[in-house]
Parts: sequence; structure tokens; C-alpha cells
Amino acid sequence: MIGDLLGIVGEGILIYFILMQLYLAYLAARSAAVLRRSHHLGRFGRITEMLSSRTSPPVSIVIPAYNEVAGIVDSVRSMSLVRYPRLELVIVNDGSTDGTLETLVAALSLERVTIPYRGDIPTAEIRGIYRGRGATDLTVIDKANGGRGDALNAGLNAARYPYALCTDADVILDPECLMRAMQRVVEDRERTVAVGGNVRPLNGCRLELGHLVDAEVPKGIIERMQVLEYLRTFVASRPAWSDMNAHPLVSGAFGVWKRSAALAVGGFTRGHMGEDMDLTMRLHRYHADRGIPYRIVYEPSAVIWTEVPSTRRVLRRQRIRWHRGLMSAVRDFMPMTFNPRYGTLGLVTWPAMVLFEYLAPMIEAAGWLIIPLALALGTLNSSSLLWLAAIAFGVGLANSLISLMLDESYGYFNSPADASRLLTMALIENLGLRQMTVVWRIRALFGGRTVRAWGDMERRGVAGLATGP
Amino acid sequence: MTEVAQLATLIIFAANALLVAGLIALKTTHRIRGRQQAKRKRRYMGLVSRHIAYPNCTDPITPAMATDPAFLDAVIDVRNAVVGPEVETLRGIVDRHGVMAHQIRRLRSSFPLGRRLRAAVALAELGDETAAGVLIHHLSDREPEIRIQAAKGLGRMGWTPAIDVIVGRFATETPWVRARFADTLLGFGSAATWPLLAYITVNHRFEREGPVAAIRALAALGDDQATQTLIEVLHEATDPEVKIATVETLGALGSPRAVPVLRNQIRSPDWRIRAKTVTALGEIGDVGSLDLLARALTDSDWWVRRNAAAALAKVGGGVDRLYEALIGKDRFAADAAAESLADAGELAAARRRIGEGRPRERDMTLVGHMSGDRP
Repeated sequence: MIGDLLGIVGEGILIYFILMQLYLAYLAARSAAVLRRSHHLGRFGRITEMLSSRTSPPVSIVIPAYNEVAGIVDSVRSMSLVRYPRLELVIVNDGSTDGTLETLVAALSLERVTIPYRGDIPTAEIRGIYRGRGATDLTVIDKANGGRGDALNAGLNAARYPYALCTDADVILDPECLMRAMQRVVEDRERTVAVGGNVRPLNGCRLELGHLVDAEVPKGIIERMQVLEYLRTFVASRPAWSDMNAHPLVSGAFGVWKRSAALAVGGFTRGHMGEDMDLTMRLHRYHADRGIPYRIVYEPSAVIWTEVPSTRRVLRRQRIRWHRGLMSAVRDFMPMTFNPRYGTLGLVTWPAMVLFEYLAPMIEAAGWLIIPLALALGTLNSSSLLWLAAIAFGVGLANSLISLMLDESYGYFNSPADASRLLTMALIENLGLRQMTVVWRIRALFGGRTVRAWGDMERRGVAGLATGP
Repeated sequence: MTEVAQLATLIIFAANALLVAGLIALKTTHRIRGRQQAKRKRRYMGLVSRHIAYPNCTDPITPAMATDPAFLDAVIDVRNAVVGPEVETLRGIVDRHGVMAHQIRRLRSSFPLGRRLRAAVALAELGDETAAGVLIHHLSDREPEIRIQAAKGLGRMGWTPAIDVIVGRFATETPWVRARFADTLLGFGSAATWPLLAYITVNHRFEREGPVAAIRALAALGDDQATQTLIEVLHEATDPEVKIATVETLGALGSPRAVPVLRNQIRSPDWRIRAKTVTALGEIGDVGSLDLLARALTDSDWWVRRNAAAALAKVGGGVDRLYEALIGKDRFAADAAAESLADAGELAAARRRIGEGRPRERDMTLVGHMSGDRP
């Protein structure tokens, strides 16, 4: 009886596994076509045209900052070097206690001003507004602590331009990333409500004066594993989601939002642990419910570099936080799952997010429990187990290898040393490292909100993070 | 079960082995090919430069070179570096060795997108009047980027018969291509004004996006000949987007003839039109609109108020009105006035005078407002 039951559950898990791999293979194939086309188009003058055109809409870069004293000035300097015809920087100091505001005021010669601020979205109290005297159009909003979403809302309120690039204080923007993202807006200004970018780990890269000089694979195993994870997500999945207009997650590290659309849905949700996914999904729901034509796209050539956790402890906290954010989103948007009203998003990508992201750790854990039980009861022999383990290992490896192949069009990690590091990592990450993240995600299902709304990174600052010249 | 698992494992590992081999091959090929292409390009740049500098140069340019993408890249780079008669010499070299003929063949739809795009860029950058027919044909290519390159090429060579074709495609193009076409028309200068005006006059009642793009192109052209027709369009138009684009363009053209029709728009129920109108009046710098702009500081929409404050700073005597708003009851108008005064350099000047010990009364008002505790 128990043996039969285990057999049925085992077959269910097998079918789940096959479905997941078919879905990933489909995404990779579709992403390959999108990347190929993007690569061709990117080579022939689109960027120059954006830079010189009068049709490029102005953009506000919104940077929330909480206790970022280590790197905030370098970040601002780096961001002011972004190539774009017309932009402003809006930094929101979210009640930092480490002197972030004072550092900004002193380093950038800011002066306190009284200028129009409209509270379209309610936020924690605004304590002051500062303006830069330099060439960069810079505004700093000082507000009481309210979390990342609240700070972003204050930035959206203060933004003067119709599009807002919401990013983080610890990222390095590729100088052309904004133009590359905004070309997707110019393609269709009416319908485009958000554009996501390609986020890559910054750890280990070589920087000079706030610019990325050379992309290198980091030395730490935890960081290297994340390089592969980011490639699988940003190179082998998101281009396909975007192509289907069913992109469920515009990354919080790089998202260009149409300001009017973001305001229409009430901006970011205060205190949400996955505020980026939440806003993306609310935009989908808002437009689909009202029958308003729209699109949310991803531009793979808009590259930004972000600090990723370098220790197991920080990574664990981050993954628990991410999975809790996903849990909230799954609960909030459950009615959209398998709902044809939301098109491909409702029928394919959101259900896949629920099945293959949200439920995956539970199903994988169920497999870990069933296998010893089945071995003990004799319904699974050790030979079959070894073969199944080999299949799981091989498929995991194939996913990483396909992502590495797709990433070739960007020209990063080309040295033989980097290539061999990534290949080695692809081989070993399925021998314990990936399973470690599964345990953390299961951990996220239990316990209260023990993580903070402002992320879990221990900031070293952009200058301290990368290997210097 | 075990047999199936064995077979699946075998297939998956064989696929992985192929992927690893493919990845290594791909990385190696990219590295080697990239280096070789850069090396060949440098060599070709030297070769082409020698042929330009010394017309009797005997270093051979072979047919194989003329079809090499590195040669094409080298020619484009040299083309961007030379001026005057050297351009003609370069064109002669390109013609003699059949570079353009080769690229025209590659533009055919049977070639892959990458090659077709390269050919289109080459024709856009290097093509002369003999390529104009091909480029006009490709204005209706199925690939948007090739249509853009064709228009760019025609704009670069100033091939005026292409203007009507480009303008005619405004209605059916995607927004991205339309925007690029509008940019291209700038290359034709004022020759594009009348075809654009004709297109707008005929179509603005029936469609939106094409006329809006055409009106914005007129703003970029900056040809005052367009003012009268645009005034008529503003009278007749019912679509708010068309009206907004027209108001913006009239502001950019800066003709005082547009002031009466713009003043009418300030009563529009659409806040977007009102906001653009006050900006346009500021661009024109019409002193007679001072009262109107000062009243707009109390408009029901905050964008209109903010734009009105910015506009007042550009009109003679407007600064005085901004100082008046600064001590007014409307807090948002006061903040907008302060921001506008600061942008106009008044705040820095006020601080300087205070520092020098000779402040005016309103200097104290502005600085006091800016350092207020509450934004």
C-alpha cells in the first residue's frame, strides 16, 4: 500500500521534473532567437541614433539609499556618467543612520531647497529636499525610514520626467544601458509601461573611476554560483518572457517604469519583500482588467552590475527574503493563475512561476524524503536511484551550459581562465550548492518576518567590492 | 525503468559533452576571429589610406578583400575620417572594386539578417546616387532596421525624391521606425517642410500617430514656413495628441504669429494642452502673455503651474511675477516660483549679494523661502 503510494508520488515528481525541463528548454530556445536578433540590431547604430535623437524621452534615475555611506558618492558619480540625452538623478535617503545624507551634502555640494514636491503616492515624512550645484541635475530627498518601496515612491513623486529608472545605490550602470533600455520605449511609447534590464554580479570585476573595465568571474564559490544563476535567469529565461509579453518580474535593480502607469497602480507596495514583482504583476493586472493595450519588456543588452552576497550567511538571508517576496506575490495574484484573461502571463509564465519557483523547493524536498523511504521499502533500487541522480545532475548541467552558450553574444568572461572557472562551477554547483538554496527557500516558508525590508547586503561600497587596478 | 533511465542519462550526457565542446569551440572561434578581423581591418585602413594619399599606389586591392566585412568596416571608418576631395577618391576606390555592388547583392532578402543589416549600413554610409534606387526600394523592406538604414542613406545623400516616399510611410510605420524617419528628414533640411505639411493637413483628422510624428519632425527642422499651416491645424484639430504636438512645435518654432492661437489653448479643458501651451508661450517669450502666465500659476493642475513658473522665467518681466508668487498664498505656486528663480540663477545671485552685504529685500525672501524647514 505504502509502496504503491510512493510509486504514484514518485511518478508525479518525475512528470513535474519533465514538465519543468521542457518549459526551461522552450524558454532557452525562444531566448536564443531573441538574443540573436537583439545582437544583430545592437551592432548597427541604434544607440547613436538614440543619443542624437530628439525623440528620446527624458528619464529620472531614482536611487533609494539606506545606510549606503560606503559607496553612495562613487555610485552617484558613476551614474552621472550614463550616456543619455536628458536625465536627472533623484536620490532618496530613507532615514539612514550612518551619515549617508551628510556625506552626500558634503561631497556633492548640495544645498537645501524648497521646491515643488507632490505627494502623488503617500510616503513616510519628507524631511528635506536638496539640490546639487554641479553639472549633473541632482535632487536628494531626505525622508523618514519607510523601506525600499516607500523610498522608491518618494522618488517617483519627486521625478520630473515621464520615465523613471528605479535602481539601487550599489550598482554600476553600463554607460549605454539606459539608451538600450529606452530604445524599447521609443519603439512603442504608447504601450510600453516597463522595461527590465540584464543584471550581472559585479563581484570580482575590475573597476576604474566608477566604470567597469573588465568583467571577471569572482573567486569565491558562493559568488561564482550566483554568476551562473544570474545567467540562467537573465539570459536564458527573461528574453523569452519578454517576447511573449508575459514578463512577471522587472528586476528591482534595473527597471524603467512609465511614471504615469506606476502612479496609476499606486506605486510600490510599502514593506513588500518583493516590491519589484508586485509592481510588475499589478501593472499586468491593471492593464489587462481594463483592456488597455500595454507591454512589459526586457532588454538583454541593457546591462548593469550589482553586488551579490559573498558569504553563505548573507546569501541565506537574501534567498529567504526573496522567497518570502515570491510567497506574498503568489498569494496576492493567485486569481491570475491559469486565468485566460491575462493571456500568456496567466496561462503560462505566472503558473510556471508558481509551479517551478514557488513550489519547487517543496517538491524537491518531498523527493529527498521519498527516496530513502522508497529505498528502505524496496520500491526503488540503488541502481535506479543512481541513474535518476545522474539524469538530474545532467539536466542541471545542461541548463547552465546552454546559458553560458547564450551569453557568448555579450563577449564577457572570454578568457580561458574565466571560461574554465564557469565550466567547473557548472559541474559542481549541483553537488550540494544548489541544494543549499533549496533548504533556505524551504526555511522561508516557516517563521515570521525576521528579515528587514531593506535587504540584507553588508555593503562594502562599489570601490571596495571589485578588484582594483 | 532502469533501461529508460540509462538511455536518458546517455542522451543527456552526450548532449552535455556536445554543449561543452560547442562552448569551447565558440569561445575559441570568437577570440580568434575577433583578433583576426581587427588585424585585417587595421591593414585595410592602411591600404585604403595609402590609395587615397597616393593615387598611383600599386598595393593591390583584391576582389576577395572587397567582399571581406573587415574591409567594409575599414572603409566606413576611413569615410568618417576624410573630408573634401578625399571623399570622392574613396568613393572611386569603392566603385572600382565593386564593394557597393557586392553589398547591394547582400541586401537581398535571401541572406541572413546580420549580413543584410551590414549591407544596409554600408549602403547608408557609403552609397551614392547610383544606390538611391535600391535604397528607395528598401524603404518598404520587411525588416524595420533595413528600412531605417535605407532612409538614413537617402537622407545622407540628400536625395529629395525620397522625401515623399518617407513621409508617405509615416502612417503605416511602427513608432520606432517613424521616429527614425523623422530624424532622417532633418538631413533634407527645409526641402522636407512642405511634404510634411501636406501630409499633416490631409491626414490629421483621420489618424493620430503619423501626423504627430510629422509635426514633431517640423519642430526639429525649425523652419518658420510651417507656422501658418500649424496654426490652422491647431484651429481644426480635435485629437488632443495632435494638439499637444502642434502647440509644442509652435513653441519650438518661436514665431510671435502663433501667440493668439496659443492664448486660446490656455482655456483648454485638457491639462496637458494647457501645460504645453504655457511652455510654448515661454519659448516664444511673449511679454503680452505675462498676465496669462501669472494666472496659470494658480491653475488647478500642478504641471501647468510648474510649467508656468518655468515659462515666466524666460519672459521679460516674468521674474518680478515669480517674486510676487513667492509671497503669495498658494504654497505650490510659491515653491514652483522658487525653483524657477533658482534655475534662472536668481538664488545664486541673491546669495552672492547677501554675502557681499548688499542684499535686496527680495533676495532675503527667496533665500528665506529656500531654507524653509518644510518643503
